[in-house]
Order: sequence, then structure tokens, then C-alpha cells
Amino acid sequence: MELGTTVLLAVIQIAVVMGVVLLSVAYMTYAERKVLSFMQDRLGPMEVGPWGLLQPIADGLKLFMKEDIIPSGANKIIFAVAPIICLIPALIGFAVVPYSEGFSLLGGTGGTITDLNVGLLYIFAFASVGAYGVILGGWASNSKYALLGGLRSGAQVISYELVIGLSIVGVLLLSESLSLRAITEHQDGGFWHWNLWVQPVAFVTYVIAAVAETNRLPFDMPEAESELVAGFFTEYSGMRFAFFFLAEYANMILVSCLASVLFLGGYEAPAEFLNFVPGFVWLALKTWALLFFFIWIRGTFPRVRFDQLMKFGWKVLIPVALVNILVTAVGVYIVNN
Amino acid sequence: MGLIRSIFMTELLMGMKLVFKQMFKPYCTLQYPHVRHDIPDGYRGLMSLLRYEDGSERCVGCSLCEAACPSNCIKVVSDEVPGQPLVRYAREYYLDITRCVFCGFCTEACPVDALAMTKVYEASVFDRRDLMFDKRKLYELGEQHLADGKAYLIAHNMDDGTLFPKEGLGDNRYSFPPVDLGEGERPVTVGLTREALEMELSKQ
Repeated sequence: MELGTTVLLAVIQIAVVMGVVLLSVAYMTYAERKVLSFMQDRLGPMEVGPWGLLQPIADGLKLFMKEDIIPSGANKIIFAVAPIICLIPALIGFAVVPYSEGFSLLGGTGGTITDLNVGLLYIFAFASVGAYGVILGGWASNSKYALLGGLRSGAQVISYELVIGLSIVGVLLLSESLSLRAITEHQDGGFWHWNLWVQPVAFVTYVIAAVAETNRLPFDMPEAESELVAGFFTEYSGMRFAFFFLAEYANMILVSCLASVLFLGGYEAPAEFLNFVPGFVWLALKTWALLFFFIWIRGTFPRVRFDQLMKFGWKVLIPVALVNILVTAVGVYIVNN
Repeated sequence: MGLIRSIFMTELLMGMKLVFKQMFKPYCTLQYPHVRHDIPDGYRGLMSLLRYEDGSERCVGCSLCEAACPSNCIKVVSDEVPGQPLVRYAREYYLDITRCVFCGFCTEACPVDALAMTKVYEASVFDRRDLMFDKRKLYELGEQHLADGKAYLIAHNMDDGTLFPKEGLGDNRYSFPPVDLGEGERPVTVGLTREALEMELSKQ
């Protein structure tokens, strides 16, 4: 295949995937406000467009037209760069998420932007970089709230990344690959082949850790608004604030995509006779179901205390994930021999 | 048992189930600018001055409302009706809504039911001076919200059945004591006490 077509294919897929992701981010904010409203017997945004459907666009326009304030005591360079450090790792992870079965396009193969054989490692490596954006943004603001938010975020993200990393090891043992496409194909043929049934404990620990990793309620310590104003992005306004916001929601969508790929069969249909529905529909359905779960959790639980959060992460989730690895490894060894 | 419950997170799941059910209950909020609450008749909103059915002003300028007002936000400038000696009216009437506490004492003090409170509760303006209501503004409000004003007076038992001729018996119009002026010019009475006035009249 020529270099030109390769680049063209990549660019087309990047454009489509980024478009869908950014649109999903916009409407995730809308869906969150709506679902939370329904849970609280209200209606949510109703003014802009029918049933408030254009609200994300209005919000986006508002944020982009607002003044970009840099506090006088802030480290200007790091303050300016931090939102971008936060946003790019959140978006870059989608490069390895397989959104459909391989199809031929322009003489190449579509379905993933790039099918890395270390796809999972790649995602987690970049997710860790995202934590730097939060910590640096909190530090560079020269504000006590932002600094405390950034510190909390650092502690939280590091502890819960461990849990995420440990909970996917069971899946890796089963599928014997780090490529997300290989993991998806391993769960081919009906919902009873999904990793969810083999790795229920890992799924639970993964989802809990993912909620904490994306700084969502009930684990939204870094931006606990009743204590820290807005946490690490207290001093941010306008576009840079929007970047942090985008990063948070893109991260949520990414971990949901990942959960559906790892545990719910990714783009595979739940049963053979449903194969006529294109793969990306299934992936989107599973991802949105998990996103709904995120909102649902937010609507139900109060925020935990910081020490409870750390205790839960280190004393409950990590041991459980470790035991799960042990049991899975023994099980896989017995089955293989 | 407790351990099993906490492993399977039954309590958390119960909470989530409750919240999920709550999603399908009807909303209980009001889409405010489009939909409004029904205001009860006794609601104490912005103040207004009322007129009789024939269009003449009810207010006789007695300043009882001014005396009753706990926040001193009413100022009445009383005067005689031109051409009708001893028939008084409020030449000027000022009501500072920024100080008004919406207690409704002034409406209770009023002997002729000239004051009534409307159901207007959206009093925000761009200029604070617009909240210094004068006589013109108060009568305007009274004309615009006449039905509300009547309903208010009825709800607060200030209508003895004589307030509104069409609905009740009479006009409850304040009757001034008949005064024989004799012949001659109309006296200058502004600012005079009753005694001084009678002295003035007896001189003629």
C-alpha cells in the first residue's frame, strides 16, 4: 500500500473518530444534566432548542467567547499548557479502540485508527500523562484550592490506576494479547462469551476504579466543590476551562469504551442473529450504557471522604484485584494443561 | 451475613434501584417564565391605588397608611380637591418599594379601601429609581390589576359587602361633612388645622 493512501486512510478515520468523540462529549454533558434532572424530578435544560437539545452548543460558544484570565501569581507557561496536557491524552487513547470489524477502505483496512499490539499499555501510558495536566494545572494556578485539588488528584489517580491495571490483567491472561482488537475477537459469538462472565470481580473493580480515575462522583475529590471550589481548575476560565471539561468527559468515554471492549465484547453483537447491525452501533450502545451507569452512580451516592477513598483503594480494591489475578492465573493454567 | 451483604454491595444496589425508579416519576418543577404558579388571592405583591367605578380616586389623603407603615416608605401629600372645598385627596403619593416590607398594614389602615395589593411579584428593574412609585404609577398598577386588588380586599376581609357596587351593595364612598361656605371666595385652606379653618370661615 502506498504511503499516501495510508496517510489518507488514517486522516479520514481520525477525523471521523474525533468528530464522533467530541460530539459524544458535548452530548454527554447534555445527557448528564438531563438524566440527573430526571432522577431529581426536574426537567433540566429546556430553553435552547427543542428539549434543550442545542444546550451543549450554546455552552460551548459561551465558553469559547469568555475572557481567558491568567492569575497574576500563576506560572504562565505551565498554566497555559496544563489543559492541553490534560486533553490530548484523553483523546489520543481512542486511536487504538476498535470501533468495528475490519473492513476494506481505500485499499487498506479500517475499523481502528491503528491496531497496536500493545494498545492497552499505550492507553494506560497516556492516561498517566493526563494526571500531569491536572497536577501541573493545580500547581501553576498559585491558588490553595487548585493546589490541594491537584495534590488530591495526583494521589487518587496513581492509586486507582494501579487498580485499573491490576483488574485488566485477568482479561489479558484470558485473551493472551494486549491488542484491543484481539481482545474483542476473543469474545466473539454471543454475549455468553463476554469476559464479564469469566471476570466479574475484575469488571466490578475496573468500573469502581474507572469512576475514581475520571474524578467522578462519588470519588470526585480533586474537584470537591463544597471544599475546594472547583479543585484543580478553580482559576481557569473560558477556553482552558473548556479543555479541562472536555478532557474529563473524553476520559469518561474512553474508560467506558475500554470497559466495553475488555468486558462486554466491544463491537461484537450480543447474539449471532444480531450480526447485521454494524459493529460501531454495538460499541456505542455498550459505551453509552456504561456512561449512563456513571451518571446513575453520580445521582445516587454522596462523596466519600478522602481517607475513605484511599483506604478503599489500597485496602480493598487492590487486594481483591490481586486475588483475582491469582485465581485467574491458576484457572487458565489448569484449563490449558 | 453482613460480610456477604457488603461484598455484594446490596445496600448500594438498593439505593441505585430507588434512584432508577425515581427517574420515571413526573417532574415537580415549574418551567417558570413559561408556566407560573397560581397566586392565591391573599398574596401581598406590589401596592396599587384603586379608583371608584366612575373613575374618581378613592384616596382621600388621610395619611393613615403613612402612619401605619412600619418601614416609613409611604409619603402622602394631602390637598383639597380643586373647586370642592374640604373634599380632600392625595395630591402626591409616594411609595418606596425598595423599603416596603409587603406587610399590608397600609391596606388595613385605609378607611376607603383605596389601597390594595396586587399579585405582581416580578419587581426587578434596571434602574432603582423606577422602584420609587409615585401616584401615577400606583394608579396605573391599580387599573392593570383591578381584579387582583378586589380579590385581595375580599380575601383579607376588608370588603364589608359595600365595596364594589356591582358585586355588593354600595359604593362605600367616604362622605365628607357638609360645610356651609356662605357666599364669597373659596378660602385658602392648605396647611390649616380645622380650628384655624373654622376661624377663617367664621371671619367671612
